[in-house]
Amino acid sequence: MNRNGPVALVFHMLFLAFLLAPILVVCVVAFTSQGYLSLPTEGLSLRWFKAIGDNPEFARAFRDSLLLGAVSSTIAVAFSVPAALAIARHQFRGREAITALFLSPLMVPHIVLGIAFLRFFTQIGLGGTFAGLVLSHVVIILPFALRLILAASTGMDRSIENAAASLGATSWTTFRRVTLPLILPGVASGWVLAFINSFDEVTMTVFIASPETTTLPVRLFLYIQDNIDPLVAAVSASLIFMTVAAMLVLDRLYGLERLLVGRGQE
Amino acid sequence: MPYLVLDRLTKRFGPWVAVDNMSLTVEKGELVSLLGPSGCGKTTTLQMIAGFLDPSAGRVTLDGADLLARKPNERGLGIVFQSYALFPHMTAAENVAFGLEMRGIPRADRDRMVRDALQLVGLGAFGDRYPRRMSGGQQQRVALARAMVIKPSLLLLDEPLSNLDAKMREEMQIELRRIQRSVGTTMILVTHDQAEAMALSDRVVIMNKGRVEQVAAPQDAYDNPASAFVANFLGRTNLLQGTVRRDGAGRRIDVAGTAWPVAAELPDGPGLLTVRPEKVRFVDGAGVPGLVRARVFQGTQWLFEIRTEAGDLTVIRQHDGQTLPAENEPVMVGWRAEDMRVMAGEA
Repeated sequence: MNRNGPVALVFHMLFLAFLLAPILVVCVVAFTSQGYLSLPTEGLSLRWFKAIGDNPEFARAFRDSLLLGAVSSTIAVAFSVPAALAIARHQFRGREAITALFLSPLMVPHIVLGIAFLRFFTQIGLGGTFAGLVLSHVVIILPFALRLILAASTGMDRSIENAAASLGATSWTTFRRVTLPLILPGVASGWVLAFINSFDEVTMTVFIASPETTTLPVRLFLYIQDNIDPLVAAVSASLIFMTVAAMLVLDRLYGLERLLVGRGQE
Repeated sequence: MPYLVLDRLTKRFGPWVAVDNMSLTVEKGELVSLLGPSGCGKTTTLQMIAGFLDPSAGRVTLDGADLLARKPNERGLGIVFQSYALFPHMTAAENVAFGLEMRGIPRADRDRMVRDALQLVGLGAFGDRYPRRMSGGQQQRVALARAMVIKPSLLLLDEPLSNLDAKMREEMQIELRRIQRSVGTTMILVTHDQAEAMALSDRVVIMNKGRVEQVAAPQDAYDNPASAFVANFLGRTNLLQGTVRRDGAGRRIDVAGTAWPVAAELPDGPGLLTVRPEKVRFVDGAGVPGLVRARVFQGTQWLFEIRTEAGDLTVIRQHDGQTLPAENEPVMVGWRAEDMRVMAGEA
């Protein structure tokens, strides 16, 4: 099935090239043997990858980012599941308002949130702590988790749960054995999307992070303010390689489309 | 003693009354249909028995015990849903086993009961299939097996056959009747399909606008409809306007110049005569004069549209070799007095 005309095909190719070129450039530059960002480069070397090892704060920030993403996505999902089920199936007073509130972090600029959280956390003694980072990340990634889980919950046939109840299942058993498995594709993709957003966040985090607890993007951002050398390219390239590897593994295990789009089993 | 009792059951949604003061008793082992057009309150009634809706007023008792005091998962009822509502992430066997598992029945017994239940609905070889890989009819059977395997004290069926094609529906009707006969479960069937209700039920409850119009055996309701609504809803019928009056010989109704005896106690004034299309015959002598507007051959039968002074009549005659009037031919039609019903008409 070839529905694209030659012009459209060229356009799409150019578009893809434009999207992928920066990633490719970063990966090439990371292998330079020079002391500065250069393309085309003179010689190939792994010295900048070795340099990552000499700067342990990158590895620590990477680990903190992973932990932060995992913890805050999990909290966001744990919060979104009951919220989505309530919003999807009950008509109650303030339903629209609550939905809008949960999705509102999407509308507030992250820099505003960053300043607000900085002031707020300092006030209540959470300034510069990992707990503060988790809290603020839960707030900004909640809309992503909620949206996907809401979509999965809305499409669910209510009588399936009624059937479980009629067969003698308590509401908790019904949730565990029937409801959760049925919305699981949405929950999984909600978690992944929330994780990606948390991992990626700089604008707000740069205000909240402290030297002891910081994320990889913030660490990179701070590093390039003082130095422009291929170390950041090497870190970025490593990240890209790891992402690609993770994607390949996930695609093998679950199917990427299912995970990211939240589609059910076919 | 009646088994299931609905006592003045009422459900209001705001100002709208979905079920209005409904009372009904069902005997053990009976199959009773709730029949009516959409919005008549039949599904609402079922949902209240199942416990998915709380009634606004009234009582429901099952075998003497108050059903409303129990939560849906404690009522022990089997329910077959219109959408089948199978658990899509479980195989047919796992679906059927779910209720047994909830009852804590040991594995070995469970497996045997699931096998028997699937066998009963003719799906012995399909235990390992997922619902999405089964046809609508097969899914419906799994849903039936799942509801039956827990040996429910009452089986509720909500439009169970409405998503099946005509041929499959007929097969399932026979199947359902067979299972009901062999297992003897008390069943309440909700349907808008009068043919289905008549084919399956011991008694039908005809509902309209939240109220019960008539409770009767299917044939009784068909032959002796309690209201024009019932007459119309249960198959095709003819409604003729007439005038009820009393003379020396008793009460009569005048329809287009002919007088018919009326057995029912009715006040003088406008009356409504109903007679089924298959009960109307072409007569030689006295009868209601009319003109054949159209005639349609339907294979086993002929369908006539006759215009009379009292209104249009539909007539069905068997295709059995008799000579039948042609279109635009003036005819006389008549029927046996016992085949017609007379109700008070609107003034």
